[in-house]
Amino acid sequence: MTYKSQSVAKLYFIAAIALFAAQILFGLILGLQYVMGDFLFPHIPFNAARMVHTNALIVWLLMAFMGAAYYLVPEESETELFSPLLAILMFWIFLVAAGLTVAGYLLVPYSTLAELTGNDLLPTMGREFLEQPTITKLGIVVVALAFLFNIGMTILKGRKTVINLVLLLGLTGLAVFFLFAFYNPTNVVLDKYFWWWVVHLWVEGVWELILGSILAFVLIKVTGVDREVIEKWLYIIIAMTLITGIIGTGHHYFWIGTPEYWQWWGSIFSAMEPIPFFMMTVFAFNMVNKRRREHPNRAATLWALGTAVMAFLGAGVWGFLHTLSPVNYYTHGSQITAAHGHMAFYGAYVMINLTIISYAMPLLRGRNAANSNKSQIWEMWSFWLMTIAMVFITLFLTGAGILQVYLQRVAENPQPFMVVQDQIALFYWLREIAGLMFFGGLVVYIASFFVGQDEPEATVAQS
Amino acid sequence: MAQAFTKTMARNIFYGGTAFFFLLFLALTFDSMGQLPNRDNRAALEGEFGPKIAMGKILWEENDCIGCHTLLGEGAYFAPELGNVYTRFGNSTDAIKGFIQSRPADGIPGRRSMPQFNFSAEELDALAEFLKYVSEINTAGWPPNTQG
Amino acid sequence: MQEQVIDTSDVLHDRHPPGDLAIWIFILAELSVFAVFFAAYAFTRMNNVELFNEFQQHLDRQSALLNTLTLITSSYFVVRAVAAIKENNHKLCVNWLLAAISMGFLFVVIKSAEYAHHFGEGINLSTNTFYMFYLSLTFFHFMHVIMGMVILGAVAIKAKNGGYSDIEHTGVETGASYWHMVDLVWLILFPLVYVMR
Repeated sequence: MTYKSQSVAKLYFIAAIALFAAQILFGLILGLQYVMGDFLFPHIPFNAARMVHTNALIVWLLMAFMGAAYYLVPEESETELFSPLLAILMFWIFLVAAGLTVAGYLLVPYSTLAELTGNDLLPTMGREFLEQPTITKLGIVVVALAFLFNIGMTILKGRKTVINLVLLLGLTGLAVFFLFAFYNPTNVVLDKYFWWWVVHLWVEGVWELILGSILAFVLIKVTGVDREVIEKWLYIIIAMTLITGIIGTGHHYFWIGTPEYWQWWGSIFSAMEPIPFFMMTVFAFNMVNKRRREHPNRAATLWALGTAVMAFLGAGVWGFLHTLSPVNYYTHGSQITAAHGHMAFYGAYVMINLTIISYAMPLLRGRNAANSNKSQIWEMWSFWLMTIAMVFITLFLTGAGILQVYLQRVAENPQPFMVVQDQIALFYWLREIAGLMFFGGLVVYIASFFVGQDEPEATVAQS
Repeated sequence: MAQAFTKTMARNIFYGGTAFFFLLFLALTFDSMGQLPNRDNRAALEGEFGPKIAMGKILWEENDCIGCHTLLGEGAYFAPELGNVYTRFGNSTDAIKGFIQSRPADGIPGRRSMPQFNFSAEELDALAEFLKYVSEINTAGWPPNTQG
Repeated sequence: MQEQVIDTSDVLHDRHPPGDLAIWIFILAELSVFAVFFAAYAFTRMNNVELFNEFQQHLDRQSALLNTLTLITSSYFVVRAVAAIKENNHKLCVNWLLAAISMGFLFVVIKSAEYAHHFGEGINLSTNTFYMFYLSLTFFHFMHVIMGMVILGAVAIKAKNGGYSDIEHTGVETGASYWHMVDLVWLILFPLVYVMR
């Protein structure tokens, strides 16, 4: 750790992992509810568990992005963070707000939460991923602005690298597009149209800038490849991201009441959205192959390469499978969607955060460059366990989805939703087993932070 | 002359490309907004049932129906699509109200269960009108059939 | 360590393709996208022949022909601009570029007049499938013309400030290549949409 203030990242990373664990716990509950329908009903109905699962995901990813920024920006800018105190304060505000919100989700009926938090003053609750009470959303805006201010001032007083600027652009975009969460008209079509300006323009837009810049940072560190080369590729990748992804938003405008030309525009442009992910994969492997050093943190390198591959598979390939409107007509809102969503989020955003944590945590904890061999081995095991488990989760949900689409939408005598759900139950059981394997991988991952701490760091043999 | 693929070129393509497509997206959005009145059934919102539908949407949100159901294919995949439940239930708001009202508070043993929300008659009305309004939005022929 | 001999042949002679390598990857990408649009148009037309034939008659072919001549002329001016800078005459280069941009501006004016006429008659993207394609294809191209004008403008400014010479003028060739691509796309679009029955 080159700059003292980078240490604030540790708080964010620890909270992120804790929330990740909470997310998976609730994921297991949901998976069980799919096959044992009244599990925990009525105390924790499916929708309550789901909002904990999705909101925990989003909050931990945001926490990890912030930690990543607090870690890499001082190093890139070659100056201390503008205000470590502000970063710590915002951390606790964010964490407490998240905690209270989750408690609200679980302890009282959602309509009661809405009443208690004054939703009627400015109704923003009750939309997917945006279930947070309005006051929580306002809190998120405050935290985000303070965070941007802190990072922005740091970059301003220091070296303005491409990585810094792309990261800042992505994070600013994140904050700006979140504002659309406050627009909630009665007109359902308008509601949906602009809801996607938060969700799509986040995960298929500005979040990719964040992903790209973090990946570039880690690759520079572990491969030693010239910054000029890596930053040039970063620009190309994010250019392709926005060139395809902005109009690609149209693949959410096929069936929600918007004009039908979106079926053409959305299909053509979103079909090209895998391109930047493909480029990222080629880029990551190329950089590692052309490396000028052997870095002792093999785990971080593994996470970096894994991110590129899984993001391409989950976001790129699985996304492509159902992005063309003639296909999507049948698969819209099915388990195909769930399959894609899980692998895409894991591959792109969970993994990039685990990558930066893998790289930075040893340094934040006092190591010179990497953890001990033992820690890294445990960590790399967790990589394989979680990643392979996720592949199986996705495959099982894809199977469920294909059968569901056939029985409910394609067959000559389409069957009702609940009847079809019963028939695809086997896939759900298999998914739950894969989910347990994922959880096992997560346990190994957390353990990797504790094992091998007394052993010497891993080194690379000098040739 | 330089043959190299420079970082500056990449940067210019990024900024130029982003600006270009953002402007194009705004243009298409502007056109879409102009077309919506022909498709989004806002006549219902502006008609006599307007306030009821608005109340129905608030209830829909404050009870997080989207947490189990999909609406026009968006939401959770635990329970059926409700964008077309009005037609699936034979164009009957009574049928919708009856279903919601009849959910057992302790659920149905072993099966996916919907909570009993204890809605008033007025609230049930509002929800049913909301779902009727949604069913009349022009969704380009989606879903493929009444099962949603 | 071996001595490096500096090969000046690249510096003094033309290398193909001219301009920055990046722009050629980018041009390839652009042409691919347009190719997909054209294919989609052709495919859809196959299934809607009567509709397409009928509404094609409503298009202003005279304006489109004028636009074709405008773009071809502008491409010629761009060629002259590249020739000028190869002789280290940056002032002449700027003038040719400005002439090309003016032609581009003329295209924009003519096309805008066409659009104004269509919109005045209440035609838009949702009128029918033919108009959806016609408006989408031409507007997408239209925006590329504007983008091309911006690029040529940037190149002209740099040329005016002496940023290019006979030895180093990659930027001029890059901008020229992009402009030629925009022209090429129109040369396919025009017969495909306006003429072919």
